[in-house]
Amino acid sequence: MILNKILKNTLLIVATCLILSACASTKKVSDIGGQIKDDVYVGEDTVEYLASGVPDRVFFATNESVLTTRSRDTLRKQATWLRENPNISIVIEGHADERGTREYNLALGERRANAAKDYLMTYGVSADRISVISYGKERPVDSGSNPLAWSKNRRSVSVKAN
Amino acid sequence: MYKSIFISTGFHFIIIIVATISLPFLAKTPIDLPPLVSIELIQITDKTSIPFAPKAKKIIEKIKKKEKERVVSEQAPPKKIKKEKPEAVPLPDKKIEEIKKIKEKKQNPEKIDTEVKQVSEFEKKEIFDPNSIAALIDKSKENIAETTKKTNKVTQSQDKNVELNGLSLSEEDALKAQIFGCWSIPLGLPFNENLLVRIKLKLKPDGYVIKSEILDHERMNRPGQGFYKVLAESALRAIRLCQPLRVPTTGYERWKDLQLNFDAGEMLGG
Amino acid sequence: MKFFKIIILTIFFQSQAYALIEVDITRGNLNPLPIAVSPLFSNNDSNVKFEKIVKVNNVGHEISKIVENNLRQTGLFNPLEKDAFLQESEIAHLKPRFEDWNLIKAQALITGKVEIKDEKLRVEFRLWDVLAAKEMLALAFTTVPTNWRRVGHIITDKIYERLTGEKGYFDTRIIYVAEEGPKTQRIKKLAIMDQDGFNVKYLTLGNELVLTPRFNPTNQMITYLSYFRNLPRVYLLDIETGVQEVVGDFPGMTFAPRFSPDGKKIIMSFATGGNSDIYTMDLENRIVERITNHPSIDTSPSYSPDGKFICFNSDRSGYQQIYVMKNDGSNVKRISFGKGLYGTPVWSPRGDLIAFTKLHKGKFYIGVMRTDGSGERLLTENFYQEAPSWSPNGRVLIFYRETETNEKGEGFSAKLWSIDLTGYNERQVPTKTDASDPSWSSLLSN
Repeated sequence: MILNKILKNTLLIVATCLILSACASTKKVSDIGGQIKDDVYVGEDTVEYLASGVPDRVFFATNESVLTTRSRDTLRKQATWLRENPNISIVIEGHADERGTREYNLALGERRANAAKDYLMTYGVSADRISVISYGKERPVDSGSNPLAWSKNRRSVSVKAN
Repeated sequence: MYKSIFISTGFHFIIIIVATISLPFLAKTPIDLPPLVSIELIQITDKTSIPFAPKAKKIIEKIKKKEKERVVSEQAPPKKIKKEKPEAVPLPDKKIEEIKKIKEKKQNPEKIDTEVKQVSEFEKKEIFDPNSIAALIDKSKENIAETTKKTNKVTQSQDKNVELNGLSLSEEDALKAQIFGCWSIPLGLPFNENLLVRIKLKLKPDGYVIKSEILDHERMNRPGQGFYKVLAESALRAIRLCQPLRVPTTGYERWKDLQLNFDAGEMLGG
Repeated sequence: MKFFKIIILTIFFQSQAYALIEVDITRGNLNPLPIAVSPLFSNNDSNVKFEKIVKVNNVGHEISKIVENNLRQTGLFNPLEKDAFLQESEIAHLKPRFEDWNLIKAQALITGKVEIKDEKLRVEFRLWDVLAAKEMLALAFTTVPTNWRRVGHIITDKIYERLTGEKGYFDTRIIYVAEEGPKTQRIKKLAIMDQDGFNVKYLTLGNELVLTPRFNPTNQMITYLSYFRNLPRVYLLDIETGVQEVVGDFPGMTFAPRFSPDGKKIIMSFATGGNSDIYTMDLENRIVERITNHPSIDTSPSYSPDGKFICFNSDRSGYQQIYVMKNDGSNVKRISFGKGLYGTPVWSPRGDLIAFTKLHKGKFYIGVMRTDGSGERLLTENFYQEAPSWSPNGRVLIFYRETETNEKGEGFSAKLWSIDLTGYNERQVPTKTDASDPSWSSLLSN
């Protein structure tokens, strides 16, 4: 009887603990090795450099085109680099992950590329040096079907056009 | 990272142990209450109407399951029936003639220029249209009907004052169950239409059909009601497939004229 | 009202001399109709001629195989095994022995014959009601022998129409995007095939990315998105002449094109400065009209069959939802209110339903709803599927489905699938390569 009571209590408390910790654990699951923060990829994998210290791409949250602090930092570096090299023009490629309909993703990619373009322009890069193209979900950089791969694919990439 | 997990696990463990030992209130024996039993009141009338048709959704789900199985596992071939020697069937002369006539009618050789575009390349000709409503009303056994009519007239007067109207519940159920099994509901029907087909039958005492008549057959010719004909035909097929119908052994006068109301709405509407 | 009528009728019948017994039959089986497709009879002479022209022997057999396969695909019919047939096609095409067909439980029977005369293929076929021992349909066609597959499809259309009361959808084609290569560098070509997967032809070489092809109402033109010279624009392609042209002169990406029901306009999205709106271009006078003007994404427009309304996809509420408006852009109304995201609305050719893709809790659904958004029904759930396209009779949807890719980058495929409105009859549509973005043509003959 006492044994039974102890067993019951144990189960109840374990269950309570699990319930209480549920909120915290979901965040941990999506935060694969600390490479995703708030649904945005923050890792270094797949990132290339336009010049030393100038990353070529910024990442977005699902269905979003808002630039994160980190993205704005990257784009300021790109703007500086572009001002230093006035002969270079770029194409910004906007991309989406595979978890959306094709046509909407094309529009979303365009929106993301323009978010990056607008930010570069506020830092003094002239609009005629930046063109924009959307690939929607057509050109993933990581072909996996998992949250990490999708986060890497939600991106806009600045590519030298000449 | 891992350090924090260990610390957290450790503390959690301590809490669990402490709580387990020191929380007596959880061990209280529960008060014994008898479980509630809900009782449904059922009105019993002289005509008990047992809900017969289960919810259509259930049936459809069952069929869905079956269908899935069917798609997955290769369909078993129907039982092989030993082929009889394919002795050419001697066709009755009259029938050959009939076909010949049809052939002659349509034998006007058509000229087709070879440059016709792909879309308009097909020439289609109706050989003859048997789709008249009359074709649906089975007249092949009319002569039998007449003979039975005569006998009917004799017995009719005797049975006229029989009070018992309709079939008994079990008699009706037997007939229903039989026809349920024979009726293949066409699957292409629209969902939101009136799917009722009423067929009036004249029966022989052994359950064979002398005459069948669709009561709303004018509906077939109305625009947008093309499905109705299909539905009516499926009902007629069901009756033919079920012959002889499972009719009561007695009281022929009661049921020699029988109306079947086929309604696919419940099955398809869900 | 109907109910009332029935009651009145019932009373009427009851008041006759002696009561007529009525029995209500409210149940039946939903099994496919057993149908026997007897091989069409073709004589030796015709077979030899046919083999010379199309390199296929026994034309009668082959055509009946097409009919049989089509009927099976509908899920409405159960074509019986030929081994069980008691009557040979030589005799069956004259007058069937109904007892024999009854014995193998066939309820309908198709017989007929084919012959080749003066370089023309002549087909004659009959549909019989086995239980009633009656002919239901008898038709003859004449065409060039190379069209033999279409003959099979047309026969199926006629049989389908006779047995279901609805137009068929077999003499039709499907335009789609054929895919090859790794997911990160996919090569895509426009391809066209018969509805049953035969007669595949490629319309582009795969040098540039092409997406979302759609037929015009006469099936002679296609509008699609091409990345030719890295400028994503809507193009128009004449299938017969092979002539291609850009639609309009837009200073940015145009995409998601579709024809208007009269074929005179193309409706599409134009994206610029991070905003996509819906435009139309008149193909005769080239006049461009702006239909929506909203800072959100407006895309995937599709006309109602009468051309008076447009359904489209917008995220103006914050997330992708389906909206309906008048064809001039006025009276915009949101119609999707369920949980999840909604995309790719397509108006049914009957006008009564809108098909869509839905994303909810990480799963993709193909579903239909009424044009006011009521009566939402989800037909199929999967890891990824989208872009439904209606069969011309509005009973079947074709769409594409992609499978999950594992950590090693394996397991990815894209295939075409079809499902009918009941949601029962889901089937893969065979394609040689991977395939996506299918669009169903209207009936080719008529």
